[in-house]
Amino acid sequence: MEDIYLEFEFNVSPSEPWTDILIAELGEAGFESFAETETGVTAYIQKRAWKEDLLEAVDVLKSDLVTISYTQQEIKQVNWNEEWEKNFEPILVDGICSVRAPFHEKPDVTFDIVIEPKMSFGTGHHETTHMMIQHLLKNEWAGKKVLDMGCGTAVLAILAEMKGAQPIDAIDIDNWCYLNSIENAARNNCKHISVYEGDASLLERKSYDTIIANINRNILLNDMATYAACLEAGGELYLSGFYTEDLESIEKECNKHKLLHVEHIIRNNWVAAKFFKND
Amino acid sequence: MAKEISKVVKLQVRGGAANPSPPVGPALGAAGVNIMEFCKQFNARTQDKQGKVLPVAITVYKDKSFDFVVKTPPAAVQVMEAAKIKKGSGEPHIRKVATISWDQIKTIAEDKMQDLNAFTIESAMKMVAGTARSMGVKVKGNAPF
Repeated sequence: MEDIYLEFEFNVSPSEPWTDILIAELGEAGFESFAETETGVTAYIQKRAWKEDLLEAVDVLKSDLVTISYTQQEIKQVNWNEEWEKNFEPILVDGICSVRAPFHEKPDVTFDIVIEPKMSFGTGHHETTHMMIQHLLKNEWAGKKVLDMGCGTAVLAILAEMKGAQPIDAIDIDNWCYLNSIENAARNNCKHISVYEGDASLLERKSYDTIIANINRNILLNDMATYAACLEAGGELYLSGFYTEDLESIEKECNKHKLLHVEHIIRNNWVAAKFFKND
Repeated sequence: MAKEISKVVKLQVRGGAANPSPPVGPALGAAGVNIMEFCKQFNARTQDKQGKVLPVAITVYKDKSFDFVVKTPPAAVQVMEAAKIKKGSGEPHIRKVATISWDQIKTIAEDKMQDLNAFTIESAMKMVAGTARSMGVKVKGNAPF
């Protein structure tokens, strides 16, 4: 579903301590995030979370000790990352896999992945993507049924297909990642990737030989039981998106579901770990 | 050599929940920063404060790199938590909505000391108590200073 945001620009006079109080109450009322301004604060809420009477619960707006006025407008989701995308550097992993934009020159490598990331995660620039690519490069994928959970740009799913995996399910909760994954899969002539928009609830009764998930600690811990349930015995699970200090809790949760630590890579304190499902 | 600063963006975003939507997207995107890189880092660093509104100051450099400092939740948010209320009073001087103790004020003041530009814990406590009163939250007992 497309995300439309509502922007409320509040002028607060006097600013102290009322801006702080306004932010606290707007936060409770359901506003998502804020930008501090010279004259107050600009607050953001998703249009689908907005209700006409929502501001009535914000009592500070009625206070006679402060004057607060506001204007509101709708903001359409556009590709805010365009400026960065115009001139980012291509990435080379272990000398044999590159991740680049269509405008970069075609490199002489075994795996040449072309990505237009827009606002999706996964260009190889981040440590976690880089390490997951390393795991993909050195392991066997031919004929494997693969799930790429939290696929972002689908860069890992695309590499899995290039390494012979099929079929591949790529899932992301964000609408723009879902759309972007479809585009990128087509851009790389992938034929075996199916993209879905949603969360772990889509995994009921599914079964995979290998699961890759570069998300974050909290979501991985929360969804571990689901991953374990749809992973075949002897299957492999690759996890990233967390720090070295989180590895212990991740491993503990894995062990609860018969997932055993095989190895992990560390880069700048980020981890990408490989687990094996014991039957 | 210190890197040249292009701009400093002050936002308040929920822990573990930064995404490229406004205000993060437009604020960082215009400066040429890789927005997704910021989101991944912010969410991992704030994963233990999932869902809490956290002030973050992002310094963007001329070379499009960035770094950021996450602060503890605003005093008003902490007062609401301590007083177990969802909102303050519309008539704070007449209608009180809750009470908190000087001990609770002190805990918040210690936490916010750096951000409040206060030189002493007493002055930080006065500022936090002022915020509480402005919300219609009564501070119990005599000031301990």
